[in-house]
Amino acid sequence: MDFDWQVAWNSVPFLLQGAWLTIQLTTIAVFFGIILGTITALLRLTKSPFKYLAIAYTDFMRGTPLLVQIFIIYYGFPPLIQRPIPAYIAAVIALSLNSGAYVAEIIRSGIQSIEIGQTEAALSLGLTYRQTMRHIILPQAFKRVIPPLGNEFIALLKDSSLVSVIALEELVRKAQIVIGRNFRPFETYFVVAIMFLIMTVSISQLVSYLERRLKVGE
Amino acid sequence: MPIIQVKDLHKKFKSLEVLKGISTEIHRGEVVVVIGPSGSGKSTFLRCLNFLETPTSGQIFFNGEEIIPNKNLNVIRQEMGMVFQRFNLFPHMKVIDNVTLAPMKVRGLAEAEAIERAYTLLDKVGLRDKADSYPEQLSGGQQQRVAIARALAMQPQVMLFDEPTSALDPEMIGDVLDVMKELAKEGMTMVVVTHEMGFAREVGDRVFFLDQGLLLEENTPAQLFTNPQHPRTKEFLSKVL
Repeated sequence: MDFDWQVAWNSVPFLLQGAWLTIQLTTIAVFFGIILGTITALLRLTKSPFKYLAIAYTDFMRGTPLLVQIFIIYYGFPPLIQRPIPAYIAAVIALSLNSGAYVAEIIRSGIQSIEIGQTEAALSLGLTYRQTMRHIILPQAFKRVIPPLGNEFIALLKDSSLVSVIALEELVRKAQIVIGRNFRPFETYFVVAIMFLIMTVSISQLVSYLERRLKVGE
Repeated sequence: MPIIQVKDLHKKFKSLEVLKGISTEIHRGEVVVVIGPSGSGKSTFLRCLNFLETPTSGQIFFNGEEIIPNKNLNVIRQEMGMVFQRFNLFPHMKVIDNVTLAPMKVRGLAEAEAIERAYTLLDKVGLRDKADSYPEQLSGGQQQRVAIARALAMQPQVMLFDEPTSALDPEMIGDVLDVMKELAKEGMTMVVVTHEMGFAREVGDRVFFLDQGLLLEENTPAQLFTNPQHPRTKEFLSKVL
């Protein structure tokens, strides 16, 4: 059986709709992941009891499969709260929570990589711990963790295909639908792979651009 | 009343006792130079004064008020500028922002006022033209002078110097010492940990000799350098002079 370019080409518009959902889900999850991850990283570095909550959260999210997390949120919680959770919302929650845990570890290592002298200089000027974090440590840490954050987001983009199991029509789910009609898995998945590749390469490009732009003052 | 009073200061790192009970006073307008062999505890002593190291026991008083973390430490740190061996400028900020940050965020100074103050200080350390540079674009000596300006921008009552010239190339040391001499002349209270004996002799009002965690001898530089009382002081001076 030859590779049929026409079949591949015909699947593109429909698959693009799925790719768009993939981009949406990933972008939203990245956004919440960074917020959640930063808060978690900061909590882990304090001496408050919340520290243990942060540790439990990261350990759970990193130690269980994303697929199981999606199932727990989509199938597990609705009976508890006695109302259904829309697939889109469940996907966003699962991906954000999962990404937040990985981002937290990345940011924590970024914070810890900043020389202790920076904290000492800030404290000696009378800045509070909070001001020191906000003005001195976090800006430097974020700059340093851009490359690993980029990797995390590429991983998240690919992992977002898992939400196809709760019938959310992102890229992979769309492909399954297309194949149900054209019976051409090879061409269709080929197009899917190319689309993923374009998205991930774009993220790496964006990351290297940010890295170059923020190089000043390192 | 002494500006800084130290009572029976002890500091242990795990089982290693670095400071073994130091008591002394530092008065307003005085320049105290702390010397001693490496490992004598002189840097630790200095870092205990503003609680960058928390004393294991003992008390530090600032203007008669005992320093207690979570109570008055933050406010007292605003009155004690510190200059580090490794400069510790904030690399993600321009020189001018390094100098204006604390006055604005801590003292609540308006931006225009903070900038004006910063330029005055950069003038004083001879680096006005570097205001828009990033620290990495400066030499070590220039970075250290910016660090001094940054500390002075808070208008502290005391300046602590932790081996400010030890990380510098020899030809840079003079510029930094000149700035410090100028400060001393203006009457700034200074505590300086250093290996620069020339500076100690010329600028110091009093010299502390620390050895193995004890303040073995304190005297005017003239007395201490020419007529040391303690055998350990004699031995140390014979090696460094």
